[in-house]
Amino acid sequence: MEYITLITGFLIILAGLWAIMTRKNIIRIIIGFVIFDTGLHIVMVSIAYVRGGTAPILDGSVSIADAAQKIVDPVPQALVLTAIVIGLGVTALMLAYAMKLHQEKKSLNIESFKDLKW
Amino acid sequence: MISPIHILTIGLGGAFALGFVPKKAKDVAAIIMLFAIAFMGAISGSWLLSLINGGSAEQIFTAGFRPPYSINLLMGLNEAFLSTAINVIGLLGGIYLYKSLKSAGNHAIMVFLIFIMGLNIIVMTRDIFNLFVFMEIVSIATAGLVILTETGKSIQAGFKYMMATGIIAGIFLLGIIFAYYYSGTLNIDGLTSANIGLAKGGSVALFLILVSIILELKSFPANGWGLDVYEAANPGIGAMLSSATATAMYFVMYKILEMAGPQWNYYISLVGVVSFVGSNLVALKQKNSQRMLGYSSIGQVGLLMIILGFKDILGDNTSYIAFGILISHYFAKAGLFWLAGIVKQKGIKEWAVIRKKPLFLFLMGTFIFALIGFPPFPSFFAKWTLVMDLINTGNLPWVVAILFGSMMEAVYLFRWFGYAIKGENENIEDFKIELHKIIPVGIVVVSLYVVGYFTAQHTEVGAAINWIPLLFVAAIFVLDFLPVFVKNTIAIIGMALYFYNIYPDLDNLRLIFEAIFLVGGILTLIAGYAYKGKRTGFYPVALLMYAGLTAIIEAQTTLQFFFGWELMTAGSYFLIIRGKRSMPHGLSYMLFSIGGAYALLTALGMAYAGQGTFSMDIINGITYLPYWAYGLLIVGFLTKTAALGLHIWLPGAHGEAESDVSPMVSAILLKAGVFGVVLTLIGMGGPNNEYTWLPYALGWLGAITALSGNLMAVFQEDAKRLLAYSSIGQLGYIVLGLAMMSHLGWLGGFSYVINHFLYKAVLFLTIGAVVLRVGTHNMYEMGGLIKRMPLAFLAVMIGIIALSGVPPLSGFAGKWLFYNAILEKGWYFQGAIMFFSGGIAFLYLWRLIHTVFLGQLKDNHRNVKEISIWFLIPIYTLITGIMVYSFKPQWVLQPLGDMIAQYFPDGQLSWVGDTAISKYGHWAGTWVAVTVIGAFLIVLALLMLSTRKAHKLKQFDITYSGERPERPETTHVAYNVFEGLYKAMWPATIPLVEAWWNRVTDFLHDTADIARRIYSGNGQIYIVHIVLFIIVTYFVIIGG
Amino acid sequence: MNKLFILIIIVALGSMLYPLVSSFDGNSELSSLAQFYAQPDNISKVNSPNLVTAIVVTYRGLDTMGEVTILFLTAAIIAFFLKKGGTTRTLRLNSEIFKTSAKLLVPIIVMLGVYIFINGHLSPGGGFQGGAVIASAVILMLLASPNTKLKHNFFEALESTSGLVFVGLAALGALLGLGYLDNAILPLGEFGKLFSAGAIPVIYSFVGLKVGAELSNILNKFQSVQSDK
Repeated sequence: MEYITLITGFLIILAGLWAIMTRKNIIRIIIGFVIFDTGLHIVMVSIAYVRGGTAPILDGSVSIADAAQKIVDPVPQALVLTAIVIGLGVTALMLAYAMKLHQEKKSLNIESFKDLKW
Repeated sequence: MISPIHILTIGLGGAFALGFVPKKAKDVAAIIMLFAIAFMGAISGSWLLSLINGGSAEQIFTAGFRPPYSINLLMGLNEAFLSTAINVIGLLGGIYLYKSLKSAGNHAIMVFLIFIMGLNIIVMTRDIFNLFVFMEIVSIATAGLVILTETGKSIQAGFKYMMATGIIAGIFLLGIIFAYYYSGTLNIDGLTSANIGLAKGGSVALFLILVSIILELKSFPANGWGLDVYEAANPGIGAMLSSATATAMYFVMYKILEMAGPQWNYYISLVGVVSFVGSNLVALKQKNSQRMLGYSSIGQVGLLMIILGFKDILGDNTSYIAFGILISHYFAKAGLFWLAGIVKQKGIKEWAVIRKKPLFLFLMGTFIFALIGFPPFPSFFAKWTLVMDLINTGNLPWVVAILFGSMMEAVYLFRWFGYAIKGENENIEDFKIELHKIIPVGIVVVSLYVVGYFTAQHTEVGAAINWIPLLFVAAIFVLDFLPVFVKNTIAIIGMALYFYNIYPDLDNLRLIFEAIFLVGGILTLIAGYAYKGKRTGFYPVALLMYAGLTAIIEAQTTLQFFFGWELMTAGSYFLIIRGKRSMPHGLSYMLFSIGGAYALLTALGMAYAGQGTFSMDIINGITYLPYWAYGLLIVGFLTKTAALGLHIWLPGAHGEAESDVSPMVSAILLKAGVFGVVLTLIGMGGPNNEYTWLPYALGWLGAITALSGNLMAVFQEDAKRLLAYSSIGQLGYIVLGLAMMSHLGWLGGFSYVINHFLYKAVLFLTIGAVVLRVGTHNMYEMGGLIKRMPLAFLAVMIGIIALSGVPPLSGFAGKWLFYNAILEKGWYFQGAIMFFSGGIAFLYLWRLIHTVFLGQLKDNHRNVKEISIWFLIPIYTLITGIMVYSFKPQWVLQPLGDMIAQYFPDGQLSWVGDTAISKYGHWAGTWVAVTVIGAFLIVLALLMLSTRKAHKLKQFDITYSGERPERPETTHVAYNVFEGLYKAMWPATIPLVEAWWNRVTDFLHDTADIARRIYSGNGQIYIVHIVLFIIVTYFVIIGG
Repeated sequence: MNKLFILIIIVALGSMLYPLVSSFDGNSELSSLAQFYAQPDNISKVNSPNLVTAIVVTYRGLDTMGEVTILFLTAAIIAFFLKKGGTTRTLRLNSEIFKTSAKLLVPIIVMLGVYIFINGHLSPGGGFQGGAVIASAVILMLLASPNTKLKHNFFEALESTSGLVFVGLAALGALLGLGYLDNAILPLGEFGKLFSAGAIPVIYSFVGLKVGAELSNILNKFQSVQSDK
């Protein structure tokens, strides 16, 4: 189970990179970043999985006493939460940039923004 | 004391509180921000003080649990120092950006505050995921600050920056999560002990973490995005990135490398050296000042990475070295970026405007010299220690690479500085000074000097440096507003007192050179009374050169010697570049000097290897690669004596310099190189040395230099250039004499040292004074001046007789000794060359009299006056010296012989009264002189009698009527007088060597131009670079 | 850039990352760190049934503070970056049904968001999730009636207040408790009840408010600077 999600996660990361490196439209590139981030998050969650474990919330099904035996690792889940929020912030800012770039040249092609080089 | 965690409370709380400040109250917001940063600085500063005074490091726990279960932070000495540094530059940067931040509004002010806070936490945190979070805070804040001053370019740069950091952060996160998987902890200390590199997956995870930090440091070549940000952002933000962010990220690298383990060190150095050399090379073609500074920043970080990678080898010195480089870069780069924001010019040529306010030129100069690693800045001591330790531990190739990279950096920084000093600035609008911008720059400049002094005090060898001459220079600098005669008097008195104090402590060898430097210096300074006004900037730099020269003489340790050497280089550079058309010559002088200095540095490192002491004695009998070491020493010193191949800078530098500067840099400065060669040859073991081919090669070099220098002098139309080329030739004789490694050879050489000082000072002073009167260097534009300035004529005549080496004057002593020495040594070929070039010397010496003083007086010179009395005084003082030497040679040569006998006891002359006796004959100085003068007077009298009927010529020209000469000078009888000879002899002249050096520079610049095309400007390509960088380094390090 | 070349790069990167997959072995038990968090003693010290929340708000509270800061930063940057252009929009009128149902739904969605963050320590969810739900209500509102002027100052004040409370509580931990962000400065209460787990629900509520306010601000900004040209 965790192998499948892990491999899927990696493939999504690579797919995101593919989009980032080949798409010309800035919005698509930003979507590429979102895909890339999603892949990362899947990898993180896969690593958290403990065989046979359940969500790390101590309600009726998991008591305090056997928590350590029954739950999956909560740490990467907490990390993933942080990572998602960071990704959200970055994406929002990138989109703001995209708007500004479009205002500047009326184009969203990444190749039109090469004023700085060498 | 307040817990360091409250840096976070203050920073974040302050930023949140700014939300309540009304939109209009921008001043309030900005002041709150500055106070918050100052408070953060006070917290970290108080910890720094306590830790320096032996306090213990503070662990900061959060959440009521101990690590590794919760996030912890650490406030140790390193952390305290770095966070203080960040807060200080943050405060200064905040002040600098005051208006920009205000005009962008309260939100921008919040972002700036959070940026500084984030950097503090990055430094302090001991949790790797927390590090990731705060790195993200900093990069998002950076993406916001890039557009603080919104332009189309800054928006593009910001977007590329976001793309790149997005990928890098992803890679970092991937590494972190797998590091957690393999170790079960996120605590950096926990990860250190977990040793996850043992598993294949674990080492990949570590690699991902490391490579993302490397990329965050904008390592060459995957750094196009970083360069764009440096170029396009507000310079105030560039300063922050270069000083604050780079400092914090460098420390992250340190933490991560500790965590990853020593097996990665080598690769970090490898990446560092690629970055250092690569980005400095590529920067060669850069014309945009801010982008150039970006390249330089990346280079400096590369250098710091090299140091980090060598931390186990450098041991306790690591932090000293890293501190020195880091702090110099930190102050200087911030200062330069800030200056860029004040000057508001992008192109390096437009920086010429900066000298409209001379103080700013001083600021810029300080920063550039600090970056290159000149004394007294911290980087000098750091670079010294680095090179010494690396060579001592057998890492010579690294030193070569580092010095090559530094050299490239010097090329573009000094080219830029040259434009600032000398470039065309009439059509550029002057810049305005805003108080809030100049205060931070002033503070960092002062800090550089202060920190430099304390850096020196930190080591035993550095503490021995004599700072008195430098303080004197500083005092003169402060008094620069005074008129010339006051400053001149102070300078002369100061130098005289210093010489009086120092001379009893010197041995005879050093006394000779010290006398040439200081007494010669005083004499040439007297000529300075002829100048009116303030002569802004002249006295500090002239005295800086003399301070360096005397430091070389007094040096007890190799560090002191090198310290003096670099001071002298800096001072003489400024002296030389003062000339009207000196910009290119100043640059080539500086580059040859730095190249030579690096050769010396390397050689001194080899001398140090295995010795454990820096005493000057270590250059006697070097054991580590001795051939290379002595070879490099000689090459280094020959850059100053302008031996053939290393002479490119000299003709222009001496020829274009001011009238009283030419004798300083010719008669005096060149002797510093000779002094170095003398020390080297003594160090090789004098007469018993084992390095047979080294002196032999040196001898040939001297002979060929003598020939081509003299030959080139023949073809000059410019009187000062003629003298400059002549110096090359004369120094060739000296080198040949010393290379013979015999008593007579050295006596000849030293005789030339003294003679060349005397007559070259006389000639340069006289010609310089004539130039001041007639306003041209070109000989064909002069003529007949004997009528207007007879005293000058007499001085030149005495000078050239002394130079040509014929009796009755002192030059003959040198020639006589030389031929004796050559016969003794058996170097007949070299002797023949010398003899031949002596003959050539007549060809040009004659012109100084013929073209300048004889013939028809030009119409526009009918009313010129005799040269200034202030020039005549030193000239005739020196001529008195020549006369004494000529008529009583034993007064000079006997003590000289005794001095040389210490090193070369065999083959001394024996003296009977004034008669010197060698194996091959004898020479009675006084008698020869008197006889020759007598003969001359008789011939003169006969000529006067027999030609009484000759009438005075009227003005004439050789042009025929109807001819239309496009270049009027070609019609002058004395123009291009040796054209035929040139056609026959040009291959033996210098253009071939110049062509070779041009090839080298072209090659480097072309390489740079091709290499920098990878920075295509397309953000997507930069991502490809990053991914490729990761893949390539992975396969290099882990190997598939 | 040639796509084949990119493909090669991607494949090379994949093969470079392959050891991470090949040496991955799954987990048969919790990592030592997680075991610590799952020990009954330590659970009672934090007293939050949702262990992820316990980690996010307490053990790794500093990260959360960073997260909040990032959203805050993003909102601030967008606020000074996107300034309103001069051009106006010609807006398409939405259907009456959409507008009315939006009015109906918005308060319910906000309420759901509040529920999610208040119960963050008891059930799945928390401040970020709740805040995001609240922001989705704002999106709905903006879509339904694009001319709505959000009270920008109100949201900013909310944002700043929540932030200051968070930082204040954290600092109180350092002053009164065992360290920065110590949640035991408030009574730990009874396990599994709404008012328990010390400062966690308070912090998470303010985080929820803050995130909601920030995201709304960002959305509002994006919406307000759009123009037809």
